[in-house]
Amino acid sequence: MFSYLIRRLCLSVPIVFGVMLLTFVLFFVVQSPQAMARKVLGPKATPQAVENWLQNRGYDKPLLVNTVPGRPFYDSLFFNQMRRLASFDLGRSDVTGRPLKEVFAKGVLPSLLITVPAFVVGLVSALGLALYLVFVRHSSVDLAAALVCVGLMSLPSMAYVIFGQYVVAQQLNYLPAFGFSLEGGSAVRFLVLPVALMVVSGLGAEVRLYRALFLEEMGQDYIRTARAKGLSNAAVLMVHVLKNGMINLITLVVASLPFLMMGSLVVENFFGIPGLGSVLFSAIQAPDFAVVQASVFLGSILYLIGLMLTDLCYAWVDPRIRLQ
Amino acid sequence: MRLFPLRFRCAPWLVAAWFALLAACSNSPYPDSGGAKEGLRREDGQPWRVRYGVASEDPRSLDPQVSYDSVSRRILEPVQDCLLEYHPFKTDPYELRPCLLAAMPEKGERPGGGTIYRCELKRGVHFHDDPCFKDGRGREVRAADVQYSFQRIADPKVECPVFSVLQDYVEGMGEAYERAKKTGAFDYEQAIAGLKVTGPYTFEIHLKQAYPQMVYWLAMHFTAPVAREAVEYYDGKVHAGKARDFFRFHPVGTGPFRIAEWKRNALIRLVRNPQYGATRFPEGGWGADQEELLRPLAGGALPIVDEVRLTTVKESIPVFMLFRQGYLDGMGLDKDSFSSLMTPARELSGKYRERGVNLRRYTEPSTFYMSLNMEDPVLGPNRKLRQALSAAFDAQTYLDVFLNSVPVVAQQLLPPGIAGHQREFRNPYGFDLAKARALLAEAGYPNGKDASGKTLELNFDIAASSAREREMAEFEQRQFEQLGIKVRVTENTFARLMEKLDQGSFQIASGSGWMADYPDPENFFFLKYSKNTPPVGKNESRYKNPEYDRIFEQMAAMEPCPEREKMAHQLTAMLAEDVPQILIFHRSAYALSQPWAPFVQENPMLEGGMKYALVDPELRERLRERWNVKPVWPVFVLLGALVAGGVLGFRSYRKV
Amino acid sequence: MAFLEHLWIQNTLVAGVYALLAFGLWRVSGDAQWVSAWQRLKRDRTGMLSLGVVVLYVLVGTLEMVRLPAERGTRSVLDAMSASIPEEKGYSAPLAKTTLSVAKPEPLKGRHVLGTDSMGRDTLLRTMKATRTALLIGGLTSLIYIPLGVLLGIVAGYYRRWVDEVVQYLYSTIAAVPEILMLVAILLVLGKGLGTMAVALGLTGWVGLARLIRGETLRQVERPYIAAARAMGQTDGKILLRHLLPNVMHLVVIKFVLGFSGLVLAEAMLSYLGVGSPVGTPSWGAMIDASRSELSREPVVWWNLSAAIFALFFLVLSLNLLGDALRRAFDPRRG
Repeated sequence: MFSYLIRRLCLSVPIVFGVMLLTFVLFFVVQSPQAMARKVLGPKATPQAVENWLQNRGYDKPLLVNTVPGRPFYDSLFFNQMRRLASFDLGRSDVTGRPLKEVFAKGVLPSLLITVPAFVVGLVSALGLALYLVFVRHSSVDLAAALVCVGLMSLPSMAYVIFGQYVVAQQLNYLPAFGFSLEGGSAVRFLVLPVALMVVSGLGAEVRLYRALFLEEMGQDYIRTARAKGLSNAAVLMVHVLKNGMINLITLVVASLPFLMMGSLVVENFFGIPGLGSVLFSAIQAPDFAVVQASVFLGSILYLIGLMLTDLCYAWVDPRIRLQ
Repeated sequence: MRLFPLRFRCAPWLVAAWFALLAACSNSPYPDSGGAKEGLRREDGQPWRVRYGVASEDPRSLDPQVSYDSVSRRILEPVQDCLLEYHPFKTDPYELRPCLLAAMPEKGERPGGGTIYRCELKRGVHFHDDPCFKDGRGREVRAADVQYSFQRIADPKVECPVFSVLQDYVEGMGEAYERAKKTGAFDYEQAIAGLKVTGPYTFEIHLKQAYPQMVYWLAMHFTAPVAREAVEYYDGKVHAGKARDFFRFHPVGTGPFRIAEWKRNALIRLVRNPQYGATRFPEGGWGADQEELLRPLAGGALPIVDEVRLTTVKESIPVFMLFRQGYLDGMGLDKDSFSSLMTPARELSGKYRERGVNLRRYTEPSTFYMSLNMEDPVLGPNRKLRQALSAAFDAQTYLDVFLNSVPVVAQQLLPPGIAGHQREFRNPYGFDLAKARALLAEAGYPNGKDASGKTLELNFDIAASSAREREMAEFEQRQFEQLGIKVRVTENTFARLMEKLDQGSFQIASGSGWMADYPDPENFFFLKYSKNTPPVGKNESRYKNPEYDRIFEQMAAMEPCPEREKMAHQLTAMLAEDVPQILIFHRSAYALSQPWAPFVQENPMLEGGMKYALVDPELRERLRERWNVKPVWPVFVLLGALVAGGVLGFRSYRKV
Repeated sequence: MAFLEHLWIQNTLVAGVYALLAFGLWRVSGDAQWVSAWQRLKRDRTGMLSLGVVVLYVLVGTLEMVRLPAERGTRSVLDAMSASIPEEKGYSAPLAKTTLSVAKPEPLKGRHVLGTDSMGRDTLLRTMKATRTALLIGGLTSLIYIPLGVLLGIVAGYYRRWVDEVVQYLYSTIAAVPEILMLVAILLVLGKGLGTMAVALGLTGWVGLARLIRGETLRQVERPYIAAARAMGQTDGKILLRHLLPNVMHLVVIKFVLGFSGLVLAEAMLSYLGVGSPVGTPSWGAMIDASRSELSREPVVWWNLSAAIFALFFLVLSLNLLGDALRRAFDPRRG
């Protein structure tokens, strides 16, 4: 197990390197640092200010190899960026100069406060509905539900938020359409609506996926055996299908767990929740290239962590699989 | 079948629970109710007064020497007092009054040319209490703190955005910058030669050449005194196990408010500084319509409210929503909310007028125009051609189509409120198509064709990131093409257009504009000064006129007087005749405020003027409740739907 | 990308896409697998209905894409057909007689089935024009990611070894970056626009397809017919083109249809984030975004939001249903 983890980590290294290379090409080659400085500093900036800005951030160095006599060849934009990311130094925001480690750390909790409840509630309700649909499969309810699910999938997430805010917060005045707080009981008041809307907007796709997963399981030989033993429909479903379906489910679900930290771009911004999604949204508007670049890097790390977790869980729930 | 009776037994409880929940629910975006329930009270026993406002993003930097965007300035202004300040009511013309200084600076001749400003600080002004000071008590402000601010302006590591302007005038500033560049670190032991500390409270500013506009810089936070202790204390590092913030996020000022709380990306709470006494409410200067409201406040203590809460709302739509629900005390009116709040007659729409919402319109000291390249072989030597282009452009229709007709058509480079602006002046080459055609013929292009019958072609550079901008450019193109010429539109990225403007490789370029740093004609006329040609300055038209330069230089060095205004008129006339640009508009905006928070000041040079703000918390509480009624019927609808769904689901389950 | 605006280039492109489509249909019309799938699809009622809806959308979009010369620049066929629909001064409700204004309602020049938007443009027409944006994004992106994905997937599955390693490395790297972040990063650097959006979506979109095709190719290569072709001395190129490509094509079609719906939604999302289609381009995403301020008006302007959402919804729904139907038709065992 341990040696497997080590091997997996080693395999991740080239991918992380690839991502770093990709972001470097995108942010420093496709777009010149001068253009970036112009975008960040705005139209009133003088050339002197642009040059000073670049110099203070080390963006005035040569792109790939430093050929200035007396300077080491690796004192270039490329090597410096690589070294920085490799040591997990995320750098500073282009706009505020705040260390990004702090910016991201501050945003994780608010993000998790909406994504985790939304994830749990969404998962439980989607599983329940999917099981129910498998129960009543091929009935008119099942067919109607399939159509409704595809319908739910066909709406952009903004549509849910716009509609939900309009009805609940603006017409009924029940819940805030904006705001966030961690103090006391009011935190719940701010979380209910965004969480509910996230659940509903994801429900269609999830129910459809789990239903297909369970149905596939229903077609397996062992189910036929169980049926032949005389087990009831409910018992087959609850014991065998759910248990075996879980194995497939875990591989799907675990990989997405680390991404809960990234929050939600749309919901956070609509509701004013100061999480990572809202940090990214501001970075897009500003534009703050350092934040976007760091997000890309962090996102890929989270993805690789998710992959690894999936493998571990797979081995844990299914003893037939050995990790070597 | 035990399920059903159980569910029915639960029903009354469910309904009761729902009602209890509903009572606890509220659509308020704030976790508390503005001090009322927390028991916060003023010393005089009256209820705690909170003003609710918004910031469209987290402030980028609250370092007085760095902050340049309006959101940061909005927060810095109440925290950091400046040496001088704008009078809150006198806007035509603008007027300065002393703030941290005891009196307006005294002007003197500098031996060998230039000017000396002698300044004296008010006694007994203290920095806010802060752990960076000994015993945590705010220290008194001294002249040395001003010296420190000037040093910081010249420190390349600080990245002061206005350094490039000040270095031309303040003695020794550019040299200090160059020295620091060379050694890699700024030497704070060495004073800036142009700022002489002559006593604990007195200092002199030495300018290499006459620059009467210097007083306006003293009304900006760049020159505001900063405590060296604070900058050195808040270094963003860990000390004795505790992480300290950066100075740019922890300003230690002298102003009427201090930052009590800052939740990143969410909220900033400014609370009244009880020791504040540097300024008091003006004795007069307001309009007759405000006499009743403001007379009782005259000469009174500032600030008037106890707390200012700025919620970070990045988009305009939630702002409007919160305003409508009564959770914001005021808002600016942008394009989105404009159409929903205003009637075509430019009045508040019925519902808001009934509510008693106040509306204000103000014109910002700004001018927007298209630059014509005077170095271009076609446009440069042909004045009539430029005049024709200017006369072909219908600015009013442009504003009607794209900007809700809110801004004012610009007749001259100087916006209203700036000394030298002529209210009666009409651009001689304002929109007049017949005249434009005649001028074009005189220019050698009758009906847009030159002597050989070839159609005149001009390039029009725009920075289009959106199709709306493209539509605007298309409109402009169509205006010019009415003359029979051909205009080719080139779309550039923002950076590319900047480059073209710097290099002068364009004929007509859109998207030029200038928002005043300070309300002085010099700040606008320098846009056409020959020594300000890019990349040094912003004379993107590359207008070079020795006569203009001469008058400009003379005017720039003069104190405000009628003579100076006459010179401004001369410059305006020259520009009008030479047409180095096609003028479009002066930006205007509308602002709204709730009935419990009447407008007090309206000076666009102030970012909010929070210390003058008023609020009536009790009226607000009453109206908020009236505006946010929670209906009960959806409870029953939802319950009904739940029961029906349960029954239906159970039925089809039983069938299987 | 300005040259793409040219009249005949645009029309040629549209014609080219149609020719490609016709050629594809002609090629598969002789193939037993495709013919039997078509037979099954014909019996599938939801499948045929959704196919009909999709074809309708494509027709509307094409009307907007084909350009005609006009007095000033060009205009689309749809513009020409709708020339009689007047522009009003501002909002008006569906079928209203006056503009939406409490203080000073002005009589309208014509009737508008779905009302008009803030600039007084007919909402129905605007919604129809937005079909072009959706189709362009979906189409252009597909033109980028499908060849890329198919080529890399098939090559990796057929040659295996180091080729496979390289392709796998490539797509693992791209897949490692969350898609939305990747899109935002690319669009921030390249600037917004329909073309750049298609490039960004294409660069991130090929991964899933390549993975799918690679898996299928690995399975096909084991089949006897490939061994037979090899034994007959056919070149690799021929085997790839003649044997493998046709056998994975149905997967491509299914993926194309389902992916298209995702792309339409992505356009809406990116437009909302402010890096998508330029403001002013008729686009459902932009209409949805604009509707947020319309919902806070008195009286409420609901028709623009509804029109955009319904148009988007029916296209995506039909594409999803059609994708499912195609899957059932090609693989009846698992339907």
